[in-house]
Amino acid sequence: MTQPLLDIAGLAVSYGTTNRRVPAVRNVSFAIAPGEAYGLIGESGSGKTTIAFAVMGHLNGGRVDAGRILFRDRDILALSPQELASLRGRSIAMVYQDPLSSLNPTLRVGEQVAEGIRHHRGLSHRAAAAEAASLLDQVHLPDPARLMLRYPHELSGGQQQRVVIAMALACRPQLLIMDEPTTGLDVTTEAVILDLVAELRSALGVAILFISHNLGVVRRVCDRIGVLYAGELMEEGRTEKVLQRPRHPYTRSLLRSIPEIGRRSERLASIAGSLPDLTSLPSGCIFHPRCPEARDICASAAPPVEEVEPGHISRCHFARDLPDALAEDTASASMKDLPEGRKPLLRVVDLEMHYVRSRRFGPFGRTIRVPALSGVGIEVAAGETLAIVGESGSGKSTLARCIVGLAAPTGGSIEFEGTPLTATRPRATRRDIQIIFQNPEAALNPFHTVAEIIARPLRLYGLREGPAIRQRVIELLDAVKLGERFSTHYPRELSGGEKQRVSIARAFAAEPRLVICDEPTSALDISVQAALLNELKELQRRYGTSYLFISHDLSVVRHIAERVAVMYLGLILETGPTAEVFQPPHHPYTEALISAVPTVSPVDRGPVLRLQGSVPDPANPPAGCVFHTRCPRKLGRVCETDAPPWRHTSAGRAYACHIPPEDLLALQQQPTTETDRPLPEMEEPHER
Amino acid sequence: MSLSRLILRRVALLALVLVAVSLLTFAIVNILPGDVATAILGESATPADLAALRSRMGLDLPLGTRYLTWIGHMLRGDFGTSLAFNLPVAPILLWRLGNSAILAALVLIISVPCALTLGVVAAVYEGSLLDRFLSLAAVFTFALPEFVIGLVLILVFSILYPVLPGSSLMEPGLNPLSQPLALVLPILVLVLHQLAHLSQITRASMINALGSNYVRAARLKGLPPALVVVKHALRNALAPAIAEVGMNFGYVLGGLVVVETLFSYAGVGQLMVMSVENRDVPTLEATVLVIAVAYGVGNLLADIVSLRLNPRLRS
Repeated sequence: MTQPLLDIAGLAVSYGTTNRRVPAVRNVSFAIAPGEAYGLIGESGSGKTTIAFAVMGHLNGGRVDAGRILFRDRDILALSPQELASLRGRSIAMVYQDPLSSLNPTLRVGEQVAEGIRHHRGLSHRAAAAEAASLLDQVHLPDPARLMLRYPHELSGGQQQRVVIAMALACRPQLLIMDEPTTGLDVTTEAVILDLVAELRSALGVAILFISHNLGVVRRVCDRIGVLYAGELMEEGRTEKVLQRPRHPYTRSLLRSIPEIGRRSERLASIAGSLPDLTSLPSGCIFHPRCPEARDICASAAPPVEEVEPGHISRCHFARDLPDALAEDTASASMKDLPEGRKPLLRVVDLEMHYVRSRRFGPFGRTIRVPALSGVGIEVAAGETLAIVGESGSGKSTLARCIVGLAAPTGGSIEFEGTPLTATRPRATRRDIQIIFQNPEAALNPFHTVAEIIARPLRLYGLREGPAIRQRVIELLDAVKLGERFSTHYPRELSGGEKQRVSIARAFAAEPRLVICDEPTSALDISVQAALLNELKELQRRYGTSYLFISHDLSVVRHIAERVAVMYLGLILETGPTAEVFQPPHHPYTEALISAVPTVSPVDRGPVLRLQGSVPDPANPPAGCVFHTRCPRKLGRVCETDAPPWRHTSAGRAYACHIPPEDLLALQQQPTTETDRPLPEMEEPHER
Repeated sequence: MSLSRLILRRVALLALVLVAVSLLTFAIVNILPGDVATAILGESATPADLAALRSRMGLDLPLGTRYLTWIGHMLRGDFGTSLAFNLPVAPILLWRLGNSAILAALVLIISVPCALTLGVVAAVYEGSLLDRFLSLAAVFTFALPEFVIGLVLILVFSILYPVLPGSSLMEPGLNPLSQPLALVLPILVLVLHQLAHLSQITRASMINALGSNYVRAARLKGLPPALVVVKHALRNALAPAIAEVGMNFGYVLGGLVVVETLFSYAGVGQLMVMSVENRDVPTLEATVLVIAVAYGVGNLLADIVSLRLNPRLRS
């Protein structure tokens, strides 16, 4: 490697008071060459963000116990505040996880980009503003001159992140630190932002330290990656090597816990246990309590750093002995052999729902109607999982709320076992349909113990009495892999995954026929997500429950659902069996959603498609086909004027589009001219 | 929504509030026990005299008619005749309104910049000895009622060390600025209270802003610390602080009533207290209405400033 741009050696950072220090990062070393993109991955709490901010010289209460961070041979940790200030924003700049909170709400966007330019480069107001406009143009924001005068809250999430990136690029830094830059964004926006990062990188030759918990995202951006676990670097190497021949059991577990869009296995491998308590770390190898490969030596001796091949290191006693292939988990055989001729359990016909949005208060206001559902029809059979997929604002959560009875539809009908349902429904029906919410934090009463929470539906619906209640609660806790010891805990004592398990147990306590899962895993870490998805499948198999699974994550949907309906702006655009929907010909919107999903497997998935812009204002949906404003395959006038016809391609498979299936198939099977960004080859170091 | 439309809407709402206040004032004065005619003529008045006075004052007319007549007069600027002074209410009220406004304006001009500075300094050096001392002093000052602070100040500066007048009595029609020394103690009492309250609010919202992600982003842009504090943090911290001033406008007016009475300062607050004591109904009604207007306008101004500072509230 040429002289590294950034060289971190033996870094250790701890937080807390003198009595109780939490060592967040221990003995971490890695280097980034000029122009190189380095990915740092790990679960939340692994210390990756601490490292990112340490490179900026911003420790925020943390203390450096050992090590150095050399940036172009100067130790960042030894710089004076003035020297740091001249480095920050000029040579090293940062892009943050949550763009809205990182932009000052009271300053115009243009000024926030321009102020750094004025300060570091001494440009005049006018020149800095011109420069800011050209930066906004470079990150592909439309009409920069006008956009500069707007405030952050007036922009969409994707636009805000572009502004933050423009802000970071203002002084042409040599190193760009990106801390989970796409985590809060929709999958289609994420894809566009990642494309932008790749483009800027090759155009500007800037080195990138990319922090993420998402291996697929990292693969798309980085040349090399380091895998962090509980504050220590477990494995490091070239991206394709690490992802294809992982030499550390932790990396292997991470990879196996990802639901892959191209691969459908019945069970996801989950990582048992959780991150260790940093104040009392396990002896020997810190990963050994959770490691499937652990042997005696792992508990007693810390593993050495093993260089398995040039540039690929692993901190494992058995780095060289691990099998090459990622073993497919074969724990459960085929489980979905439900009898033919299933009757629909739930039938939703032409469901319509609009919200009334009032324009300010009281007697002076007027109201407008915002449609959330504009004629949605679905059917769910007994024991089946139907997934509803769409970006935020597609109406998928409204649909869930209508079915469960939390919202009253304004048109259409919902039938459960042939009986029409209204918003006020008998207790027995309420029992039959349960819901698991996205945010378990808000769905559990903080003043009730776990046992009280789960016992509530048992009492409410009179399912158990007396000591049988307690017994059933324990049964349910076991079913969601929590165990009796959790029964006396309060929600605040639980982790996110444990809380969601309690929610699931509560839903199943009612012995429901249909459970609506509203993005149940989107707030959780990837390894926890895998475990929860497995448990949901297990419960379904045991009780024959139907699921209506709401998600924006196609790879999760691919894993759990038999059938999929794709929603956009309150309408279903495509529906069919999961495996078929993922094959062309599919609706251009489905195509874009699929091509936006980051993946860890290097197999090309055909031409890349990107959606531009954001979902239109639902109060003013576009005429004709609702998708035409963003459709990459738009035909012409007809899309703007006429509602598209339904096209049936095979049994149970249909999509709404003006393009006939033959043409779509031809379009979508074109030879891969512009493939998904390939892994960057060893690029020559960028000259400067 | 444009700013001007928003302001227009708020003004309309203010008018509605004033109608409600006038109804309430009228109701309280006219429905509660006690009779204006008896109050004027005294307990020894003959029933015939009382009846004559009532009919002369229109007190024998139905309530609705009396309210409409009264509000009609008020709208035309005819505030009636003071029973206590036997003079038209309007000029007295106007002069005293001016006096109160001068007092309030001086208090704000002095206290707001001082409070902001103290609040920002305390927040920047959060947890330091200075910060803890300021917090303690603020709690102590705020816990003492104005009349206690006022009495202590009078005791010290007018009685033990007589350097300042302990009373702000002045000739009717005189501009209070012509005797500045008499203003010092009343202003000091009000400023101390405002300072205690406002500096702590500024401190709290500054601490909030300084801990935010956008301030961190500004620091990591390499901007100088002073610029980060003033341009990025203070700008965001001001909005809640000013909203608080608006919400507490009523409290400030209450303080004025106490302080004016304590120092015999010829303002609206003192006039209100006097007219209650004298059962001077026309003056009382007019004073209450004027204070309600002042309260509404003060709130409106604070809202407009908040809107200017916070673009998120505008949309």
